[in-house]
Amino acid sequence: MSEYSVIGKPTTNVDGAAKVTGEAVYTFDMTLPNMLYGKLLRSPHPHAKIVSIDTSEAEKLPGVKAVITGKDTPGGKYGLWRRFHELADQEVLATTKVRFIGEPVVAVAAISEDIAEKAIDLIKVEYEPLPAVFEPMEAIKDDAPVIHDGFENNINNTRHIEWGDVDEGFKNSDYVREDRFTLFSQHPAYMEVHNTLASYDKGSGRLTVWASTQSPYFLQLGISDALKMREGNVRVIKPHVGGGFGGKNSTMHDSVNAAFLSMKTGRPVKIVFNREEEFTATEHRTAMHLAIKIGLKKDGTILAKEVKIITDGGAYTGLGATTLYLAGTFITFPYKTPNYRYDGVRTYTNKMWASSVRGFGAVPTVYAAETQLDRAAHDLGIDPIEIRRRNAMTPGYEAPGQYMVKSCGILPCIDKMEQRVKEKWTDLSKDEGIGFAAFAYMSGGIFNWIDTPYAFSGAMVKVNIDGTVDLFTQASDIGQGHNTVSVMICAEELGIGVEDIRLHPADTATTLTDLGAWGSRETLMNGNAIKAAAGEVKKVLVEVARMKLGENIVYDLEVKDKRIYLALRPERGFSYYDIVKDAIKRNDGEPIIGIGHYTPHRKGMISPAYGMGIQAVKAKVDRETGQVEVKDVITVHDCGQTINPLGARGQVEGSTQMGLGFGLCEDMLTDNGMVLNPSFVDYKLIRSRDMPQIELIDVPTYDPEGPYGAKEAAEATTAPGAPALANAIYHAVGAEFNSNVLKPEKVLKAIREKEKKGR
Amino acid sequence: MANYRCPCCRKISSDHHDLARHFLGQTDSKHKDWLKTQGLSYAQLITWQVTEFGNKGYDTLAEVLEKEAPKVE
Repeated sequence: MSEYSVIGKPTTNVDGAAKVTGEAVYTFDMTLPNMLYGKLLRSPHPHAKIVSIDTSEAEKLPGVKAVITGKDTPGGKYGLWRRFHELADQEVLATTKVRFIGEPVVAVAAISEDIAEKAIDLIKVEYEPLPAVFEPMEAIKDDAPVIHDGFENNINNTRHIEWGDVDEGFKNSDYVREDRFTLFSQHPAYMEVHNTLASYDKGSGRLTVWASTQSPYFLQLGISDALKMREGNVRVIKPHVGGGFGGKNSTMHDSVNAAFLSMKTGRPVKIVFNREEEFTATEHRTAMHLAIKIGLKKDGTILAKEVKIITDGGAYTGLGATTLYLAGTFITFPYKTPNYRYDGVRTYTNKMWASSVRGFGAVPTVYAAETQLDRAAHDLGIDPIEIRRRNAMTPGYEAPGQYMVKSCGILPCIDKMEQRVKEKWTDLSKDEGIGFAAFAYMSGGIFNWIDTPYAFSGAMVKVNIDGTVDLFTQASDIGQGHNTVSVMICAEELGIGVEDIRLHPADTATTLTDLGAWGSRETLMNGNAIKAAAGEVKKVLVEVARMKLGENIVYDLEVKDKRIYLALRPERGFSYYDIVKDAIKRNDGEPIIGIGHYTPHRKGMISPAYGMGIQAVKAKVDRETGQVEVKDVITVHDCGQTINPLGARGQVEGSTQMGLGFGLCEDMLTDNGMVLNPSFVDYKLIRSRDMPQIELIDVPTYDPEGPYGAKEAAEATTAPGAPALANAIYHAVGAEFNSNVLKPEKVLKAIREKEKKGR
Repeated sequence: MANYRCPCCRKISSDHHDLARHFLGQTDSKHKDWLKTQGLSYAQLITWQVTEFGNKGYDTLAEVLEKEAPKVE
């Protein structure tokens, strides 16, 4: 029997019914009385000086209530890397020059969307085009155009990681190989577009914002920095969010402009992006050039690894500087690497900026590392599973000065995978192949570039006289199911059911700070805060029960299944509800309140815990057309103690779809900085009917840092799909790829080249 | 044993290679300008570091720092 009543039980989402019946309210659905509609005029140039802006005709249009340019705004620069002022480089509207096609220059508020759009058409902007640069290798050259003053050679950020003696490691290797990759971008492609409703109260000077965001706190800071307001005067409320996938961490132009237009007009203002704006002017996965050198012994043991990365940062910083760090980290996982050197540079280019997307830092780098490892295994005559087993991290593994891995189930995952593949995929037909890729990812980052003085996550639990519980937390459910995980953790700790808990999520005015949903941080970090808050309440209830029992202090009490009782004599105890009543009486009639918080300390530089595993893809290649069919996928995942298996399964399926899309078809085509396929007609996603079956095998471990042993689940699984697919093609037809997006023409070309070499 | 002090800030390091790593991790103009006084280019050092395997950028700077960085006990 499980020691838990709630944790680990497949649980339908607490907000699932509201979502599937259409009752759930998203910012997109919201209106307020007297609301205005905002629209943005965007730059048609990738790099240009703004010579003049004439808004007079737009201002005359009946129904237009405000027209603002960059010069009207308070001029605050903002961004997520606010601890480093020069990297907080975003503006509400471009003031002196534009740096990418689609950068907003003017914002309009009008009584209808149609009038706002007409007003936009009436604005005349004179630009002086400047030379632009789109490729990171060009941007870093001495004669490249300067995108931001003070950033020599467009170097936005650098990162160096080194441990061991890399040169000695290569010297001692029996086999050394170098590979160079170009990894292309990917749009997060969430269903709900960026949109914000802002309402400013001129009397109090306070602003309330509802937005589709992954972090109400980051948005509160972004708006207050941009508009030079007191942080506490900006209240952000996150309604239901229709997906983020990393693309909604930054404060985007919808939020700051809706807020400023509301301040100007004294009326609520709503800005909703359309899909074309999403593709041209919101954040996407960081594209990069990557060189990787690996040294191994004859038996396949990795002795040294060296990685060089230049990322295509785009025009601003976003979370791209964090991506650079994570890229250099997760390319080492989940393998023991005794000697390692990494250098990364992020360059500014005249494109929409690249930032965080699901599995950021890991998805492109794992592609390079895992395909290279298969090539090395092939050359050394070692089985792909065996080479991974030989190098797999073990519990307690430490990369000096960088990270330490406590719970670590990669070895049992590999063993399980080997067994399952042998059972399931007994026969391969002609031109079918099996590819493997191992993966790992963080359970929240130990980074404070946002420069918060608060705990990384806080929660408050209030128990009412009838035993119902109000749980207040700022953590963000963006569709990944954290609302359900929050309630399950609180219920388990208090020994009650999820139906006893009312969740009050994601409002900066009523909840304790949480840094938001990115890097798989909510389960571990917010989960710990909730567990601590509920634990405070539990302590009070246990004390009351102990007094009523009159038992010796050495006897432990259990709080479970709505009872509080002696652990060794379960028949001696009380109903949870009765104890709550007594506790409130003894507390001068006040409800019992618990507050908990969590900030990682002494957990290395990256994360307190790492989820990991291995994925296998079976694919068939058509040698005549280059078409690849993904036939089947098996994922073996160690995510510690799974909190909600139903939610985890859904996330694994979604992240696998995204990972295979990165590998197969998702391609943001650009020409001179312009996105050529800004719609779901031309930007190809893997659709439900194209998805293979996905078998998920859970290999549980217990991470001492996570709530009930939980850690990252199912963000890591965005990474292995593309390299496992590339490896499957490699094993099927021998074609090698040093980039993602394996469209039929690319596969066919590689097959032909391979055939030529073979002749 | 002598330690090396960064010529531009208060960072002290026991190893001139380590100091070079610190130096190239800084994004302020003070550090970049000091490189220019030594005939070095920040961008060139970074470019070496990220386009070629090995540690050419750091090694080049470390050599200069070994001579030029103030020594402290």
